[in-house]
Amino acid sequence: MKILGTWGHLAFLVWAVALGILAPGARVILVLGFVVVFSALFFRGGLRPVRRLEFWVLVASAVLLSPFLIGEKDLSLFGLSLSRQGFWAGLWMALRALSVALAVGGFAYAVSVDEIARLFEVAGWKGLGFAVGVAFNLLPTLEEMARNAYQAMRLRGGFQRERLRALRMLLVAIVVNALRRGDEVVEAAEARAFRPDGPRREPLPINRTDLALIAVLVALGVGLLAWP
Amino acid sequence: MKTRFTTRDLVYIAVFGALWGVLEMSLGSYLHLIFPSLATPLVGVGTIMTAMGMVLALIGRLFVPRTGSVLMIGLVTAILKALSIGGVKLSPMIAIIIESLLAELGLILARRPSRGGFMLAGCLAVLWTFFHKFFASYVFLGRGIYDVYLGVLKEGSQALGIGMGYALAIIAAFLLIRIVVGGLAGWLAWDLGKAVQARLTRAEKGSE
Repeated sequence: MKILGTWGHLAFLVWAVALGILAPGARVILVLGFVVVFSALFFRGGLRPVRRLEFWVLVASAVLLSPFLIGEKDLSLFGLSLSRQGFWAGLWMALRALSVALAVGGFAYAVSVDEIARLFEVAGWKGLGFAVGVAFNLLPTLEEMARNAYQAMRLRGGFQRERLRALRMLLVAIVVNALRRGDEVVEAAEARAFRPDGPRREPLPINRTDLALIAVLVALGVGLLAWP
Repeated sequence: MKTRFTTRDLVYIAVFGALWGVLEMSLGSYLHLIFPSLATPLVGVGTIMTAMGMVLALIGRLFVPRTGSVLMIGLVTAILKALSIGGVKLSPMIAIIIESLLAELGLILARRPSRGGFMLAGCLAVLWTFFHKFFASYVFLGRGIYDVYLGVLKEGSQALGIGMGYALAIIAAFLLIRIVVGGLAGWLAWDLGKAVQARLTRAEKGSE
């Protein structure tokens, strides 16, 4: 049974993105902590990205490269000139990225295309809402498809020679696979009698749990930002 | 917003918006955050990302051959971009929407889908990356346009190894590079789009 409604999930996403950007310095650790606890409680599937090595490579590279690229070099380590400011900036940047990535992953996992479409429908943008909903749900699939296509080509020795041709083939394969996945989505939408020009549906209801969560998030957000 | 797209059109718009979105959210955010200085001042990260995005959006136009489809792909991408690891940044989101609008204008001017039309659309979209510097600095940072102009001239003169007095040549170089990159993006989009269509047709024939 779903404890939270769509508005609750949306509020959490907005909170995580806003606080991920606005929380100063080390307070982003608290934001990340809350995002992890919330995800573990309400949508464990949203934590799937943390199982991927590439995800951690991306996060680690922000921490490892920043001391070389950001700020004045004020430290020497193993003959390398590094910046303390750059290290801290990179670390906070990586934690912000983690918070936002987990919140987005969780939202995509927990909220269906139909629910996202209905959120836009409230503003009268049914077609755009449907497209955004489908795109949102396709993100993890497309990333996986692209990775699989790349690995398949690499294992066949595709990038050893004629790299430009291989890259072209890879791009074509990714777009073809994405369109095939799109065809499946079309069939599913038509099976559910979705019509872009159909009548407007009732707005999504906001339940008590959503309201309670929004109150907690606002209090937490204000506390995190306003605490001296 | 009254829609006149079919369900299939909207799903294909979502597919190409998501592909461009994945590119922006991963590579784009990464390049902007970590490697802003990798590209030369003449070809910024924005120019590279716009060209890549345009390749995808224009391929999308081949599969959703209706006026407004590139703009819709851009809107979907801009919304997804709001959720990228760099956080909500209004400036790139506006850039994506304006570039999509300009590409749409290029396609309208070309009247019917053609390689030339795609190249024109790509050129117009990528050209915006030069003017966006002025627009974003003025709107979001409150910097005067003349200050930005001087900054651009300084960067350009250093990159080209000529004096700032050759202002016209420097600006022409900035614009020319974007026209070439945009044209190349359009050319590639046409080429790749046709390859994708051919492969799908072959697969359909094979399954019959």
